[in-house]
Amino acid sequence: MKQSGNFTAAANKRHYSQERMVTLALLQIKNFSFSYPRSAQPALQGINISVEKGEFIGITGPTGAGKSTLTYCLNGIIPHFQGGSCQGRISLGGASIFDRSPAQISRLVGSVFQDPEAQIISPEVEQELAFGPENLGFPPAEIEQRIGKALELAGIPGLRNRPTVNLSGGEKQRVAIAAALAMLPEILVLDEPTSELDPVGTDEIFQVLNLLNKEHGMTIIMVEQKTEQLAAYADRILVFNEGRIALEGEPRQVFARRRELEQIGVRIPQVARLAGLLGGYERCTLPLTVEEGHLYLESILRR
Amino acid sequence: MQRKARIKVEKLTYHYGSGQPVLKNISFETGKGECIALIGQNGAGKTTLAKHFNGLHRPSSGKVYIDGIDTTSMKVSELARKVGFVFQNPDHQIFHDTVAREVAFGLRNLRLSRREIEERTAAALEAVGLTEHCRTYPFNLSKGQRQRIALASVLAMQTETIVLDEPTTGQDFRESVQIMEIVRKLNENGHTIIFITHDMSLVARYARRVLVLCRGEILADGDVRSVFAAPEILKKTYLRPPQITNLARCLGRHSIPPDVLGVRELYELLVKMRSEKIGCCS
Repeated sequence: MKQSGNFTAAANKRHYSQERMVTLALLQIKNFSFSYPRSAQPALQGINISVEKGEFIGITGPTGAGKSTLTYCLNGIIPHFQGGSCQGRISLGGASIFDRSPAQISRLVGSVFQDPEAQIISPEVEQELAFGPENLGFPPAEIEQRIGKALELAGIPGLRNRPTVNLSGGEKQRVAIAAALAMLPEILVLDEPTSELDPVGTDEIFQVLNLLNKEHGMTIIMVEQKTEQLAAYADRILVFNEGRIALEGEPRQVFARRRELEQIGVRIPQVARLAGLLGGYERCTLPLTVEEGHLYLESILRR
Repeated sequence: MQRKARIKVEKLTYHYGSGQPVLKNISFETGKGECIALIGQNGAGKTTLAKHFNGLHRPSSGKVYIDGIDTTSMKVSELARKVGFVFQNPDHQIFHDTVAREVAFGLRNLRLSRREIEERTAAALEAVGLTEHCRTYPFNLSKGQRQRIALASVLAMQTETIVLDEPTTGQDFRESVQIMEIVRKLNENGHTIIFITHDMSLVARYARRVLVLCRGEILADGDVRSVFAAPEILKKTYLRPPQITNLARCLGRHSIPPDVLGVRELYELLVKMRSEKIGCCS
Protein backbone atom coordinates (compact mmCIF):
# COMPACT_ATOMS: atom_id res chain seq x y z
CA MET A 1 0.00 0.00 0.00
CA LYS A 2 1.23 3.44 -0.82
CA GLN A 3 1.28 6.01 1.88
CA SER A 4 2.06 9.61 1.59
CA GLY A 5 1.88 11.97 4.52
CA ASN A 6 3.68 12.04 7.76
CA PHE A 7 2.77 9.27 10.09
CA THR A 8 6.30 8.00 10.58
CA ALA A 9 6.99 5.99 13.67
CA ALA A 10 9.72 8.33 14.87
CA ALA A 11 7.53 11.41 14.67
CA ASN A 12 4.75 9.69 16.52
CA LYS A 13 7.03 8.46 19.30
CA ARG A 14 8.19 11.98 19.91
CA HIS A 15 4.59 13.19 20.22
CA TYR A 16 3.80 10.26 22.43
CA SER A 17 6.27 11.11 25.16
CA GLN A 18 5.09 14.73 25.21
CA GLU A 19 1.42 13.96 25.41
CA ARG A 20 1.46 11.18 27.86
CA MET A 21 2.29 13.53 30.67
CA VAL A 22 -0.77 15.67 30.21
CA THR A 23 -3.59 13.29 29.43
CA LEU A 24 -5.03 9.94 30.31
CA ALA A 25 -7.67 9.96 27.58
CA LEU A 26 -8.30 6.54 26.06
CA LEU A 27 -8.53 7.94 22.56
CA GLN A 28 -6.91 11.15 21.48
CA ILE A 29 -7.20 12.69 18.06
CA LYS A 30 -5.04 15.77 17.59
CA ASN A 31 -5.07 18.20 14.68
CA PHE A 32 -5.93 15.32 12.43
CA SER A 33 -6.54 15.79 8.72
CA PHE A 34 -6.98 13.24 5.96
CA SER A 35 -7.31 13.43 2.19
CA TYR A 36 -8.28 10.60 -0.12
CA PRO A 37 -5.96 10.06 -3.09
CA ARG A 38 -6.57 12.45 -6.04
CA SER A 39 -9.06 14.40 -3.98
CA ALA A 40 -8.71 18.17 -3.88
CA GLN A 41 -10.79 18.60 -0.75
CA PRO A 42 -9.63 17.00 2.51
CA ALA A 43 -12.18 14.54 3.93
CA LEU A 44 -11.20 15.50 7.49
CA GLN A 45 -9.64 18.77 8.57
CA GLY A 46 -8.12 19.75 11.91
CA ILE A 47 -10.07 17.20 13.97
CA ASN A 48 -9.51 17.26 17.74
CA ILE A 49 -11.31 14.72 19.88
CA SER A 50 -10.45 13.38 23.28
CA VAL A 51 -12.43 10.40 24.57
CA GLU A 52 -12.27 9.17 28.14
CA LYS A 53 -12.71 5.54 28.97
CA GLY A 54 -16.42 4.74 29.41
CA GLU A 55 -17.76 7.65 27.35
CA PHE A 56 -20.56 7.25 24.80
CA ILE A 57 -19.85 9.60 21.92
CA GLY A 58 -22.50 10.22 19.27
CA ILE A 59 -21.41 11.57 15.88
CA THR A 60 -23.91 12.96 13.41
CA GLY A 61 -23.96 15.23 10.39
CA PRO A 62 -24.79 15.21 6.68
CA THR A 63 -23.39 12.64 4.25
CA GLY A 64 -19.93 13.52 3.01
CA ALA A 65 -19.10 15.29 6.29
CA GLY A 66 -16.28 12.84 7.10
CA LYS A 67 -18.03 10.69 9.72
CA SER A 68 -17.33 7.34 8.07
CA THR A 69 -13.81 8.43 7.16
CA LEU A 70 -13.16 9.04 10.84
CA THR A 71 -14.32 5.52 11.70
CA TYR A 72 -11.98 4.13 9.02
CA CYS A 73 -9.12 5.98 10.70
CA LEU A 74 -10.02 4.37 14.02
CA ASN A 75 -10.32 0.78 12.84
CA GLY A 76 -7.23 0.78 10.64
CA ILE A 77 -8.92 0.68 7.22
CA ILE A 78 -7.04 3.97 6.87
CA PRO A 79 -4.05 3.69 6.41
CA HIS A 80 -3.78 -0.08 5.98
CA PHE A 81 -6.33 -0.71 3.21
CA GLN A 82 -7.14 2.77 1.94
CA GLY A 83 -4.45 5.14 0.71
CA GLY A 84 -4.38 8.86 1.19
CA SER A 85 -2.46 11.40 3.18
CA CYS A 86 -2.77 12.14 6.88
CA GLN A 87 -1.59 14.88 9.17
CA GLY A 88 -1.80 15.01 12.92
CA ARG A 89 -2.17 12.00 15.09
CA ILE A 90 -4.57 9.47 16.57
CA SER A 91 -3.54 7.62 19.70
CA LEU A 92 -5.35 4.86 21.48
CA GLY A 93 -4.22 3.85 24.94
CA GLY A 94 -1.28 6.23 24.56
CA ALA A 95 0.21 4.80 21.36
CA SER A 96 -0.30 5.92 17.77
CA ILE A 97 -2.89 3.88 15.95
CA PHE A 98 -0.96 4.10 12.71
CA ASP A 99 2.00 2.24 14.20
CA ARG A 100 -0.17 -0.78 14.87
CA SER A 101 -0.86 -3.65 12.50
CA PRO A 102 -4.46 -4.40 11.42
CA ALA A 103 -4.38 -7.44 13.74
CA GLN A 104 -3.36 -5.31 16.71
CA ILE A 105 -6.01 -2.71 15.92
CA SER A 106 -8.64 -5.44 15.63
CA ARG A 107 -8.06 -6.31 19.29
CA LEU A 108 -8.45 -2.74 20.42
CA VAL A 109 -11.23 -1.41 18.22
CA GLY A 110 -14.43 -3.34 17.58
CA SER A 111 -16.22 -2.27 14.40
CA VAL A 112 -19.86 -2.51 13.40
CA PHE A 113 -20.97 -1.22 10.01
CA GLN A 114 -24.21 -0.13 8.36
CA ASP A 115 -25.14 -3.32 6.58
CA PRO A 116 -25.00 -6.48 8.72
CA GLU A 117 -25.34 -8.58 5.56
CA ALA A 118 -22.01 -7.27 4.37
CA GLN A 119 -20.33 -7.86 7.72
CA ILE A 120 -21.55 -11.33 8.75
CA ILE A 121 -19.65 -14.08 6.95
CA SER A 122 -20.48 -17.30 8.83
CA PRO A 123 -23.50 -19.57 8.41
CA GLU A 124 -23.93 -19.87 12.18
CA VAL A 125 -23.87 -17.32 14.99
CA GLU A 126 -21.33 -19.25 17.07
CA GLN A 127 -18.90 -19.50 14.14
CA GLU A 128 -19.29 -15.80 13.47
CA LEU A 129 -18.23 -15.00 17.02
CA ALA A 130 -15.37 -17.53 16.98
CA PHE A 131 -13.89 -16.13 13.77
CA GLY A 132 -11.99 -13.19 15.27
CA PRO A 133 -10.54 -14.91 18.35
CA GLU A 134 -9.60 -17.98 16.23
CA ASN A 135 -7.66 -15.74 13.90
CA LEU A 136 -5.74 -14.37 16.84
CA GLY A 137 -4.82 -17.96 17.76
CA PHE A 138 -6.48 -18.21 21.16
CA PRO A 139 -6.91 -21.69 22.68
CA PRO A 140 -10.40 -23.26 22.31
CA ALA A 141 -11.26 -22.84 26.01
CA GLU A 142 -10.64 -19.11 25.83
CA ILE A 143 -12.58 -18.77 22.58
CA GLU A 144 -15.48 -20.61 24.23
CA GLN A 145 -15.39 -18.26 27.18
CA ARG A 146 -15.28 -15.17 24.97
CA ILE A 147 -18.21 -16.36 22.84
CA GLY A 148 -20.35 -16.97 25.93
CA LYS A 149 -19.53 -13.58 27.40
CA ALA A 150 -20.04 -11.70 24.13
CA LEU A 151 -23.44 -13.30 23.52
CA GLU A 152 -24.50 -12.38 27.02
CA LEU A 153 -23.34 -8.77 26.67
CA ALA A 154 -25.17 -8.37 23.36
CA GLY A 155 -28.30 -9.85 24.94
CA ILE A 156 -28.53 -12.76 22.51
CA PRO A 157 -27.46 -15.97 24.32
CA GLY A 158 -30.45 -17.72 22.72
CA LEU A 159 -29.13 -17.12 19.20
CA ARG A 160 -25.91 -19.06 19.68
CA ASN A 161 -26.76 -22.02 17.45
CA ARG A 162 -29.00 -20.22 15.00
CA PRO A 163 -28.21 -19.92 11.28
CA THR A 164 -27.30 -16.30 10.58
CA VAL A 165 -29.49 -16.10 7.43
CA ASN A 166 -32.71 -16.52 9.42
CA LEU A 167 -32.10 -13.68 11.85
CA SER A 168 -33.98 -10.38 11.82
CA GLY A 169 -32.09 -7.19 11.00
CA GLY A 170 -31.85 -6.21 14.67
CA GLU A 171 -30.60 -9.69 15.58
CA LYS A 172 -28.01 -9.61 12.83
CA GLN A 173 -26.66 -6.28 14.05
CA ARG A 174 -26.48 -7.62 17.60
CA VAL A 175 -24.52 -10.61 16.27
CA ALA A 176 -22.15 -8.12 14.61
CA ILE A 177 -21.82 -6.30 17.94
CA ALA A 178 -21.23 -9.59 19.79
CA ALA A 179 -18.57 -10.58 17.24
CA ALA A 180 -16.82 -7.28 17.90
CA LEU A 181 -17.11 -7.82 21.67
CA ALA A 182 -15.57 -11.31 21.41
CA MET A 183 -12.29 -9.53 20.61
CA LEU A 184 -12.51 -7.76 24.02
CA PRO A 185 -11.96 -4.37 22.42
CA GLU A 186 -11.11 -1.18 24.30
CA ILE A 187 -13.59 0.75 22.24
CA LEU A 188 -16.59 0.00 20.04
CA VAL A 189 -16.96 2.03 16.83
CA LEU A 190 -20.30 1.82 15.02
CA ASP A 191 -21.07 3.44 11.67
CA GLU A 192 -24.85 3.96 11.25
CA PRO A 193 -25.65 0.47 12.58
CA THR A 194 -29.42 1.08 12.64
CA SER A 195 -29.96 2.65 9.23
CA GLU A 196 -31.46 -0.52 7.73
CA LEU A 197 -33.46 -1.46 10.82
CA ASP A 198 -37.09 -0.96 11.75
CA PRO A 199 -37.82 1.16 14.84
CA VAL A 200 -37.88 -1.77 17.26
CA GLY A 201 -34.66 -3.21 15.79
CA THR A 202 -33.17 0.27 16.26
CA ASP A 203 -34.26 0.32 19.91
CA GLU A 204 -32.69 -3.11 20.48
CA ILE A 205 -29.34 -1.81 19.29
CA PHE A 206 -29.51 1.35 21.41
CA GLN A 207 -30.52 -0.61 24.50
CA VAL A 208 -27.65 -3.07 24.09
CA LEU A 209 -25.20 -0.22 23.59
CA ASN A 210 -26.59 1.65 26.59
CA LEU A 211 -26.22 -1.42 28.80
CA LEU A 212 -22.69 -2.09 27.54
CA ASN A 213 -21.78 1.49 28.25
CA LYS A 214 -23.48 2.03 31.61
CA GLU A 215 -23.08 -1.41 33.18
CA HIS A 216 -19.81 -2.54 31.67
CA GLY A 217 -18.04 0.74 31.04
CA MET A 218 -17.55 0.09 27.33
CA THR A 219 -16.35 3.13 25.43
CA ILE A 220 -18.58 3.73 22.43
CA ILE A 221 -18.30 5.91 19.35
CA MET A 222 -21.46 5.78 17.27
CA VAL A 223 -22.12 7.52 13.97
CA GLU A 224 -25.88 7.87 13.63
CA GLN A 225 -28.58 9.84 11.81
CA LYS A 226 -31.31 8.97 14.33
CA THR A 227 -30.74 11.92 16.61
CA GLU A 228 -33.76 11.24 18.85
CA GLN A 229 -32.17 8.07 20.19
CA LEU A 230 -28.64 9.43 20.05
CA ALA A 231 -29.71 12.39 22.18
CA ALA A 232 -31.19 10.03 24.76
CA TYR A 233 -28.12 7.82 25.17
CA ALA A 234 -24.93 9.67 24.22
CA ASP A 235 -22.85 11.58 26.79
CA ARG A 236 -21.53 13.88 24.11
CA ILE A 237 -22.55 14.73 20.55
CA LEU A 238 -20.17 15.78 17.79
CA VAL A 239 -21.75 17.32 14.70
CA PHE A 240 -19.57 16.95 11.63
CA ASN A 241 -19.86 19.21 8.62
CA GLU A 242 -17.57 19.43 5.59
CA GLY A 243 -14.76 17.50 7.24
CA ARG A 244 -14.75 19.50 10.46
CA ILE A 245 -16.39 19.34 13.85
CA ALA A 246 -19.02 22.06 13.67
CA LEU A 247 -20.66 21.61 17.07
CA GLU A 248 -19.70 19.66 20.14
CA GLY A 249 -21.12 19.19 23.62
CA GLU A 250 -23.68 17.44 25.74
CA PRO A 251 -26.84 16.55 23.81
CA ARG A 252 -28.82 19.34 25.51
CA GLN A 253 -26.26 21.96 24.55
CA VAL A 254 -25.93 20.75 20.97
CA PHE A 255 -29.64 20.33 20.21
CA ALA A 256 -30.38 23.79 21.59
CA ARG A 257 -28.39 25.26 18.65
CA ARG A 258 -31.38 25.15 16.34
CA ARG A 259 -30.24 27.59 13.68
CA GLU A 260 -26.83 26.04 13.19
CA LEU A 261 -28.26 22.52 13.08
CA GLU A 262 -30.86 23.51 10.52
CA GLN A 263 -28.20 25.16 8.42
CA ILE A 264 -25.96 22.08 8.54
CA GLY A 265 -28.96 19.81 7.91
CA VAL A 266 -29.18 17.80 11.13
CA ARG A 267 -32.53 16.53 12.34
CA ILE A 268 -33.42 17.96 15.74
CA PRO A 269 -35.37 15.59 18.03
CA GLN A 270 -39.06 16.49 17.72
CA VAL A 271 -39.48 17.14 21.46
CA ALA A 272 -36.51 19.53 21.41
CA ARG A 273 -37.94 21.31 18.36
CA LEU A 274 -41.24 21.80 20.13
CA ALA A 275 -39.48 23.15 23.21
CA GLY A 276 -37.47 25.45 20.96
CA LEU A 277 -40.70 26.91 19.57
CA LEU A 278 -42.44 27.24 22.95
CA GLY A 279 -39.47 28.40 24.98
CA GLY A 280 -39.73 28.54 28.75
CA TYR A 281 -36.87 26.17 29.50
CA GLU A 282 -33.31 26.88 30.54
CA ARG A 283 -30.72 25.72 28.04
CA CYS A 284 -29.47 23.07 30.46
CA THR A 285 -32.88 21.47 30.76
CA LEU A 286 -33.90 21.33 27.11
CA PRO A 287 -36.17 18.26 26.96
CA LEU A 288 -34.97 15.58 24.53
CA THR A 289 -37.12 12.51 25.17
CA VAL A 290 -40.88 11.91 25.41
CA GLU A 291 -40.63 11.59 29.22
CA GLU A 292 -38.68 14.83 29.54
CA GLY A 293 -41.03 16.52 27.10
CA HIS A 294 -43.99 15.42 29.17
CA LEU A 295 -42.56 16.90 32.39
CA TYR A 296 -41.63 20.10 30.60
CA LEU A 297 -45.11 20.54 29.07
CA GLU A 298 -46.84 19.78 32.38
CA SER A 299 -44.75 22.51 33.96
CA ILE A 300 -45.56 25.14 31.36
CA LEU A 301 -49.23 24.15 31.22
CA ARG A 302 -49.48 24.65 34.95
CA ARG A 303 -48.23 28.21 34.70
CA MET B 1 -69.59 0.20 -13.18
CA GLN B 2 -67.61 2.24 -10.70
CA ARG B 3 -64.34 3.79 -11.81
CA LYS B 4 -61.38 1.46 -11.99
CA ALA B 5 -58.98 1.29 -9.10
CA ARG B 6 -55.40 2.10 -10.05
CA ILE B 7 -54.06 -0.96 -8.25
CA LYS B 8 -56.36 -3.69 -7.04
CA VAL B 9 -55.01 -6.60 -5.03
CA GLU B 10 -57.36 -9.52 -4.50
CA LYS B 11 -56.62 -12.36 -2.05
CA LEU B 12 -52.94 -12.24 -2.97
CA THR B 13 -50.77 -15.01 -1.56
CA TYR B 14 -47.13 -15.37 -2.50
CA HIS B 15 -44.33 -17.68 -1.54
CA TYR B 16 -40.75 -17.91 -2.75
CA GLY B 17 -40.20 -21.39 -4.24
CA SER B 18 -41.94 -23.97 -2.08
CA GLY B 19 -41.37 -22.05 1.19
CA GLN B 20 -43.82 -20.55 3.66
CA PRO B 21 -46.05 -17.82 2.25
CA VAL B 22 -44.48 -14.35 2.54
CA LEU B 23 -47.79 -12.67 1.70
CA LYS B 24 -51.05 -14.14 2.96
CA ASN B 25 -54.43 -13.40 1.46
CA ILE B 26 -53.90 -9.67 0.92
CA SER B 27 -56.67 -7.51 -0.49
CA PHE B 28 -56.82 -3.74 -0.96
CA GLU B 29 -57.17 -1.19 -3.70
CA THR B 30 -55.80 2.25 -4.38
CA GLY B 31 -57.50 5.12 -6.11
CA LYS B 32 -55.98 7.66 -8.47
CA GLY B 33 -53.84 10.31 -6.82
CA GLU B 34 -53.43 8.61 -3.44
CA CYS B 35 -50.24 8.88 -1.39
CA ILE B 36 -49.81 5.67 0.56
CA ALA B 37 -47.10 4.63 3.00
CA LEU B 38 -46.44 0.90 3.21
CA ILE B 39 -44.95 0.17 6.62
CA GLY B 40 -44.03 -2.85 8.74
CA GLN B 41 -41.09 -4.51 10.43
CA ASN B 42 -38.03 -5.86 8.55
CA GLY B 43 -39.24 -8.96 6.70
CA ALA B 44 -42.96 -8.09 6.91
CA GLY B 45 -43.31 -8.50 3.13
CA LYS B 46 -43.37 -4.83 2.04
CA THR B 47 -40.90 -5.14 -0.84
CA THR B 48 -42.37 -8.48 -1.91
CA LEU B 49 -45.80 -6.89 -2.13
CA ALA B 50 -44.50 -3.83 -3.99
CA LYS B 51 -42.77 -6.03 -6.57
CA HIS B 52 -46.20 -7.37 -7.55
CA PHE B 53 -47.15 -3.92 -8.81
CA ASN B 54 -44.61 -3.94 -11.61
CA GLY B 55 -44.69 -7.65 -12.37
CA LEU B 56 -41.35 -8.62 -10.81
CA HIS B 57 -43.39 -11.05 -8.76
CA ARG B 58 -46.53 -12.84 -9.91
CA PRO B 59 -49.09 -14.03 -7.35
CA SER B 60 -48.86 -17.65 -6.19
CA SER B 61 -52.61 -17.32 -5.85
CA GLY B 62 -55.02 -14.39 -6.03
CA LYS B 63 -54.89 -11.49 -8.46
CA VAL B 64 -53.22 -8.12 -8.92
CA TYR B 65 -54.88 -5.71 -11.34
CA ILE B 66 -53.28 -2.54 -12.68
CA ASP B 67 -55.84 -0.20 -14.24
CA GLY B 68 -58.25 -3.09 -14.34
CA ILE B 69 -55.92 -5.45 -16.20
CA ASP B 70 -54.69 -8.66 -14.58
CA THR B 71 -50.89 -8.40 -14.25
CA THR B 72 -50.43 -12.07 -15.17
CA SER B 73 -51.55 -11.18 -18.68
CA MET B 74 -49.04 -8.32 -18.96
CA LYS B 75 -45.33 -8.32 -19.70
CA VAL B 76 -42.95 -6.52 -17.33
CA SER B 77 -42.21 -4.11 -20.20
CA GLU B 78 -45.91 -3.24 -20.48
CA LEU B 79 -46.21 -2.77 -16.74
CA ALA B 80 -43.17 -0.47 -16.83
CA ARG B 81 -45.32 2.06 -18.69
CA LYS B 82 -47.87 2.05 -15.89
CA VAL B 83 -45.89 1.58 -12.68
CA GLY B 84 -42.49 3.13 -12.02
CA PHE B 85 -40.34 1.51 -9.34
CA VAL B 86 -37.51 3.16 -7.43
CA PHE B 87 -35.47 0.44 -5.75
CA GLN B 88 -34.10 0.72 -2.25
CA ASN B 89 -30.50 0.68 -3.38
CA PRO B 90 -29.95 2.94 -6.42
CA ASP B 91 -26.68 1.14 -7.11
CA HIS B 92 -28.67 -1.96 -8.05
CA GLN B 93 -30.31 -0.13 -10.90
CA ILE B 94 -27.75 2.39 -12.18
CA PHE B 95 -25.47 1.08 -14.92
CA HIS B 96 -24.80 3.82 -17.46
CA ASP B 97 -21.73 6.02 -17.66
CA THR B 98 -23.52 9.36 -17.51
CA VAL B 99 -26.48 10.56 -15.53
CA ALA B 100 -28.39 11.61 -18.65
CA ARG B 101 -27.90 8.23 -20.36
CA GLU B 102 -29.13 6.46 -17.26
CA VAL B 103 -32.29 8.53 -17.22
CA ALA B 104 -32.83 8.11 -20.99
CA PHE B 105 -32.50 4.33 -20.90
CA GLY B 106 -36.15 3.54 -20.16
CA LEU B 107 -37.29 6.12 -22.72
CA ARG B 108 -35.18 4.55 -25.46
CA ASN B 109 -36.88 1.25 -24.66
CA LEU B 110 -40.21 2.96 -25.21
CA ARG B 111 -38.88 3.83 -28.71
CA LEU B 112 -39.70 7.50 -28.30
CA SER B 113 -38.31 10.07 -30.71
CA ARG B 114 -34.88 11.46 -29.92
CA ARG B 115 -36.38 14.88 -29.27
CA GLU B 116 -38.94 13.53 -26.84
CA ILE B 117 -36.25 11.53 -25.03
CA GLU B 118 -34.11 14.63 -24.66
CA GLU B 119 -37.00 16.73 -23.43
CA ARG B 120 -38.20 14.21 -20.89
CA THR B 121 -34.68 13.54 -19.64
CA ALA B 122 -34.01 17.23 -19.16
CA ALA B 123 -37.32 17.74 -17.35
CA ALA B 124 -36.74 14.75 -15.04
CA LEU B 125 -33.21 15.90 -14.17
CA GLU B 126 -34.48 19.35 -13.47
CA ALA B 127 -37.21 17.99 -11.19
CA VAL B 128 -34.61 16.19 -9.04
CA GLY B 129 -32.08 19.03 -9.18
CA LEU B 130 -29.40 17.20 -11.15
CA THR B 131 -29.37 19.22 -14.39
CA GLU B 132 -25.79 20.37 -13.90
CA HIS B 133 -24.69 16.75 -13.46
CA CYS B 134 -26.20 15.40 -16.68
CA ARG B 135 -22.79 14.42 -18.05
CA THR B 136 -21.34 13.21 -14.75
CA TYR B 137 -20.41 9.58 -14.10
CA PRO B 138 -23.14 8.47 -11.63
CA PHE B 139 -20.73 6.83 -9.19
CA ASN B 140 -18.85 10.09 -8.74
CA LEU B 141 -21.97 11.46 -7.07
CA SER B 142 -23.16 10.91 -3.51
CA LYS B 143 -25.55 8.12 -2.61
CA GLY B 144 -28.31 10.68 -2.12
CA GLN B 145 -27.67 12.07 -5.59
CA ARG B 146 -27.68 8.55 -7.05
CA GLN B 147 -31.01 7.94 -5.32
CA ARG B 148 -32.29 11.00 -7.17
CA ILE B 149 -30.93 9.65 -10.50
CA ALA B 150 -32.99 6.51 -9.92
CA LEU B 151 -35.98 8.69 -9.14
CA ALA B 152 -35.42 10.77 -12.30
CA SER B 153 -35.29 7.60 -14.42
CA VAL B 154 -38.71 6.68 -13.11
CA LEU B 155 -40.08 10.25 -13.47
CA ALA B 156 -39.04 10.36 -17.11
CA MET B 157 -41.23 7.34 -17.82
CA GLN B 158 -44.24 9.46 -16.76
CA THR B 159 -46.00 6.48 -15.22
CA GLU B 160 -49.26 7.09 -13.41
CA THR B 161 -48.14 5.16 -10.36
CA ILE B 162 -44.74 5.45 -8.70
CA VAL B 163 -43.54 2.98 -6.08
CA LEU B 164 -40.54 3.91 -3.92
CA ASP B 165 -38.86 1.28 -1.75
CA GLU B 166 -37.24 3.01 1.24
CA PRO B 167 -36.24 6.06 -0.78
CA THR B 168 -34.53 7.74 2.16
CA THR B 169 -32.52 4.89 3.73
CA GLY B 170 -28.89 5.88 4.10
CA GLN B 171 -29.69 9.50 3.24
CA ASP B 172 -29.03 12.33 5.60
CA PHE B 173 -31.83 14.56 6.86
CA ARG B 174 -31.61 17.16 4.12
CA GLU B 175 -31.42 14.58 1.33
CA SER B 176 -34.43 12.75 2.80
CA VAL B 177 -36.47 15.93 2.81
CA GLN B 178 -35.34 16.75 -0.74
CA ILE B 179 -36.46 13.36 -2.04
CA MET B 180 -39.77 13.45 -0.20
CA GLU B 181 -40.52 16.98 -1.42
CA ILE B 182 -40.11 15.71 -4.99
CA VAL B 183 -42.48 12.86 -4.14
CA ARG B 184 -44.97 15.34 -2.70
CA LYS B 185 -44.91 17.39 -5.90
CA LEU B 186 -45.46 14.29 -8.03
CA ASN B 187 -48.46 13.42 -5.93
CA GLU B 188 -49.82 16.95 -6.25
CA ASN B 189 -49.47 16.59 -10.01
CA GLY B 190 -51.76 13.58 -9.93
CA HIS B 191 -49.37 10.64 -9.64
CA THR B 192 -50.40 7.80 -7.36
CA ILE B 193 -47.59 7.25 -4.87
CA ILE B 194 -46.77 4.20 -2.77
CA PHE B 195 -43.67 4.48 -0.59
CA ILE B 196 -42.07 2.04 1.81
CA THR B 197 -40.28 3.43 4.85
CA HIS B 198 -39.29 2.83 8.48
CA ASP B 199 -39.23 6.54 9.23
CA MET B 200 -42.53 7.30 10.93
CA SER B 201 -41.98 11.06 10.90
CA LEU B 202 -41.87 10.89 7.08
CA VAL B 203 -45.09 8.87 7.09
CA ALA B 204 -46.72 11.49 9.31
CA ARG B 205 -45.54 14.31 7.10
CA TYR B 206 -46.09 12.94 3.61
CA ALA B 207 -48.57 10.05 3.52
CA ARG B 208 -52.33 10.33 3.70
CA ARG B 209 -53.10 6.63 3.91
CA VAL B 210 -51.07 3.92 5.65
CA LEU B 211 -50.99 0.20 4.97
CA VAL B 212 -49.47 -1.68 7.92
CA LEU B 213 -48.02 -5.05 7.03
CA CYS B 214 -47.11 -7.68 9.61
CA ARG B 215 -45.78 -11.13 8.74
CA GLY B 216 -47.35 -11.05 5.31
CA GLU B 217 -50.77 -9.82 6.39
CA ILE B 218 -52.41 -6.41 6.45
CA LEU B 219 -52.72 -5.36 10.07
CA ALA B 220 -54.25 -1.95 9.47
CA ASP B 221 -55.28 0.15 6.49
CA GLY B 222 -56.46 3.68 7.10
CA ASP B 223 -55.62 7.34 7.24
CA VAL B 224 -52.38 8.29 8.98
CA ARG B 225 -54.04 9.78 12.07
CA SER B 226 -56.16 6.76 12.87
CA VAL B 227 -53.22 4.37 12.41
CA PHE B 228 -50.83 6.41 14.57
CA ALA B 229 -53.49 6.81 17.25
CA ALA B 230 -53.38 3.01 17.73
CA PRO B 231 -49.80 2.38 18.89
CA GLU B 232 -50.68 -1.12 20.14
CA ILE B 233 -51.27 -2.18 16.52
CA LEU B 234 -48.03 -0.62 15.34
CA LYS B 235 -46.14 -2.36 18.12
CA LYS B 236 -47.19 -5.74 16.76
CA THR B 237 -45.13 -5.03 13.68
CA TYR B 238 -42.23 -3.42 15.52
CA LEU B 239 -43.16 0.15 14.70
CA ARG B 240 -43.78 3.16 16.87
CA PRO B 241 -45.53 6.47 16.16
CA PRO B 242 -43.30 9.55 15.82
CA GLN B 243 -41.87 11.04 19.03
CA ILE B 244 -44.24 14.03 18.87
CA THR B 245 -47.32 11.77 18.58
CA ASN B 246 -46.15 9.84 21.64
CA LEU B 247 -45.68 13.08 23.51
CA ALA B 248 -49.17 14.28 22.56
CA ARG B 249 -50.62 11.02 23.88
CA CYS B 250 -49.22 11.84 27.34
CA LEU B 251 -51.28 15.03 27.36
CA GLY B 252 -54.76 13.51 27.14
CA ARG B 253 -55.88 15.11 30.41
CA HIS B 254 -55.16 18.52 28.90
CA SER B 255 -57.52 17.49 26.07
CA ILE B 256 -54.76 17.27 23.49
CA PRO B 257 -55.94 14.78 20.83
CA PRO B 258 -53.93 11.52 20.62
CA ASP B 259 -53.44 11.71 16.85
CA VAL B 260 -51.12 14.72 16.53
CA LEU B 261 -48.74 14.20 13.60
CA GLY B 262 -46.27 17.07 13.64
CA VAL B 263 -44.31 19.44 15.86
CA ARG B 264 -45.98 22.50 14.37
CA GLU B 265 -49.43 21.01 14.94
CA LEU B 266 -48.80 20.31 18.64
CA TYR B 267 -47.20 23.73 19.04
CA GLU B 268 -50.29 25.44 17.64
CA LEU B 269 -52.62 23.39 19.86
CA LEU B 270 -50.58 24.34 22.94
CA VAL B 271 -50.42 28.02 22.04
CA LYS B 272 -54.17 28.08 21.47
CA MET B 273 -54.72 26.37 24.81
CA ARG B 274 -52.49 28.80 26.62
CA SER B 275 -54.17 31.84 25.11
CA GLU B 276 -57.62 30.45 25.99
CA LYS B 277 -56.46 29.88 29.54
CA ILE B 278 -55.17 33.41 29.81
CA GLY B 279 -58.41 34.65 28.24
CA CYS B 280 -60.64 32.98 30.86
CA CYS B 281 -58.52 34.16 33.79
CA SER B 282 -58.44 37.80 32.86
